[in-house]
Amino acid sequence: MTIVKAPKRAPQHTGPTAAPGAATLVDHKRKARFRRGLLCLALIAIAFVMLVPFLWMIITSLRPPSELGMANPPLIPGELQWSNYSDALKAAPFATYARNSFIIAISHTVLNLVMASMAGYALARLKFRGSTLIMGAFIAALMIPTYTKIVPEFLIVRFMPFFGGNDAFGQGGIGWLDSWWALIIPGAVTPFAVFLFRQFYASVPVELAEAARLDGVSEFGIYARIITPQIKPAIATVALLTFESSWNNFLWPLLVTSSDNLRVIQVGLSVFQNENTTQWSLLMAGTALATLPMVALFLLGQRYFVDGFTHAGIK
Amino acid sequence: MTLTRRSFLSAVGISSVALSAAACSGPTAGSGPATVATGKLSGQVSLLTPIFEGAAGKALLEQKLIPAFQKTHPDVSFKVDYVNYSALNEKLTTGLAGGTVADVLMLGVGWIPPFAAKGVLAELPAEFADGQGFHPRVLDPSRHEGKLYALPAVLDTRFVAYRKDIFEEAGITAPPQNWEELRGIAKELTRSSGGRISRAGIDAFSIDLRQGWEYALFANGGKLFDETGRKVLFNQREGVEALEFLAGLIKDGSTAFDFRSEAGKPLQLQTGNAAMALVNNAHFMTIQQQSPELIKEGKIGTFLLKNTTEAMFQGGTLASVSARSKNPDAAQTFVRYLASPEVILHTCEYRGSVPAISALASSDYVKNNDFVRFAVDNLDKSVSEGGTPAWMEIRDTIKAAVEEALTGKATAQEALDRLADTANDAIGRLQ
Repeated sequence: MTIVKAPKRAPQHTGPTAAPGAATLVDHKRKARFRRGLLCLALIAIAFVMLVPFLWMIITSLRPPSELGMANPPLIPGELQWSNYSDALKAAPFATYARNSFIIAISHTVLNLVMASMAGYALARLKFRGSTLIMGAFIAALMIPTYTKIVPEFLIVRFMPFFGGNDAFGQGGIGWLDSWWALIIPGAVTPFAVFLFRQFYASVPVELAEAARLDGVSEFGIYARIITPQIKPAIATVALLTFESSWNNFLWPLLVTSSDNLRVIQVGLSVFQNENTTQWSLLMAGTALATLPMVALFLLGQRYFVDGFTHAGIK
Repeated sequence: MTLTRRSFLSAVGISSVALSAAACSGPTAGSGPATVATGKLSGQVSLLTPIFEGAAGKALLEQKLIPAFQKTHPDVSFKVDYVNYSALNEKLTTGLAGGTVADVLMLGVGWIPPFAAKGVLAELPAEFADGQGFHPRVLDPSRHEGKLYALPAVLDTRFVAYRKDIFEEAGITAPPQNWEELRGIAKELTRSSGGRISRAGIDAFSIDLRQGWEYALFANGGKLFDETGRKVLFNQREGVEALEFLAGLIKDGSTAFDFRSEAGKPLQLQTGNAAMALVNNAHFMTIQQQSPELIKEGKIGTFLLKNTTEAMFQGGTLASVSARSKNPDAAQTFVRYLASPEVILHTCEYRGSVPAISALASSDYVKNNDFVRFAVDNLDKSVSEGGTPAWMEIRDTIKAAVEEALTGKATAQEALDRLADTANDAIGRLQ
């Protein structure tokens, strides 16, 4: 029989006669609290630095024109010019622009989630000839700079057969130009989303799918009902990134549209700028309004979003 | 050459359009002199414009200028595509590659030779240059190989503005007559506190770096290219001295590379943080809106940069007709309308720009705008950038070379020699 002596208990009081072990514990706690305090201060400072551009945007959006001309304007505007917001909304059909941006961003998000997740699932879980090559092609596609794709993509859209007055050879009309097709289809599925989904699907235990297969669940059922619900962070990440890039896209919508009723909010914001002058207060008011949906979306999905980034190793 | 968004699109787009332009050129392109459109006009005219893009500009174009044109030509309708200068090249390039270019194109100064050389633009009747009262010098950027391809809609000039009150305080009675004097005055008027410039002698870098150096080059009697547009001249003595002059201002401590008027903040000259500044004529509107007292009290003066030659930098926007226009007669007539005195005046008022027509010097707009009046009075000294069919590939690489020299990463000669190599490569690719 082994007798284990109880360890000597540290005295409860922490006065001058306190045992050395207790003092170490207190020191340790104090140090931990100090380190935590320092960390909090550093995080508050970083958060403040990140917030400054947004604060500057909001403050500028409320300034009267006279303050914009001051060398050292007051931090808080002397008179809050809320009318900048209504003036900005009157300057252009922002309701139409916002509607268009929403339609495009939602369409891109839904299409990307559906198509890229199916592609990612197939590449991660289905064995078929050429899958490695296809995965390699997706990774290679990630490395192609956006601007090098613009002219070829534009030509594909322009010469799309049977659309916009084009014949079977893509001649005679304008194809998808100046239409919803051009705004939605070319950016609908991104290789990054396929890659991200593939990584997540590959990390889900194979046993789940095998058990479902034994229970007679179809392959689509396994994808849709068993495995995909396990990768919510990936879904949130892809949804948010797709929505954000689509909402903020400026160049492509500008290139493929010429009608005002198809223009998007980022193009709309340019009404406050010309080569020579910028109406800063109105531009900032418009930008603040355009930023709101993205901020709301991030606040709603930030837990999944951070999980997704951590899992995919991106920042 | 570094691959940038613009350089890539310029290279791909312009080269891909060369073939299609040759195959699909419109009725006014190519052989024979252009003729003036006569007869009744009808159909749709599409317009690509970078100068009516703001809300006020859109209202001016669609509610005033186009309806006035349609009073004379009621059967002509318009489809306007608004774009700003930052994306104009991309819009044009993709449109050209896809064969969807607008009937009327509004382009920047320096853009005519590249697009005309590729057969993208239709020649305009020579008589369009006469009779409207254009100052002869402002039509230079509208021509390529002696033919007229565009008409100036608005001009945007660069010169030097200075604070008269700061000059007077220092007992300086006249603007500098050459760079040596300018550097001396700038140094004298500079104030520093805590190792930082609190008042710069000159704010030289708030305008585009490319344009700033080109302006100094012109004021030193230099040229970018020879008459044929095939030989680089900018790395000769005049260009090197111009770049050294700008770098010298930094060395003197009269300014700093990062000393400039930040976007969204008032001009350094306006706040008294700079005694002199290279400015655009449109800055007058900004000062008028934000600091009207400076104008009322007559505190802002202007002068032309001069070393060996008194020069004014001339930029602007030109209107031209696409060689592939399906409605060339209406397009041509509309271009002439855009360059008519009343339209030019309205457009200039909206943008704070300079009219290219001498007769408008007596208008209230010119009389009441000190910068515009100064520019109109000095149109005979204006010099434009560009001058080579390879300009679109060269223009975006200039800024980096100027920056290299100003930040001390290379001497002026080294930076300009490297730039000349890039320019020669681009010129060598011309057909």
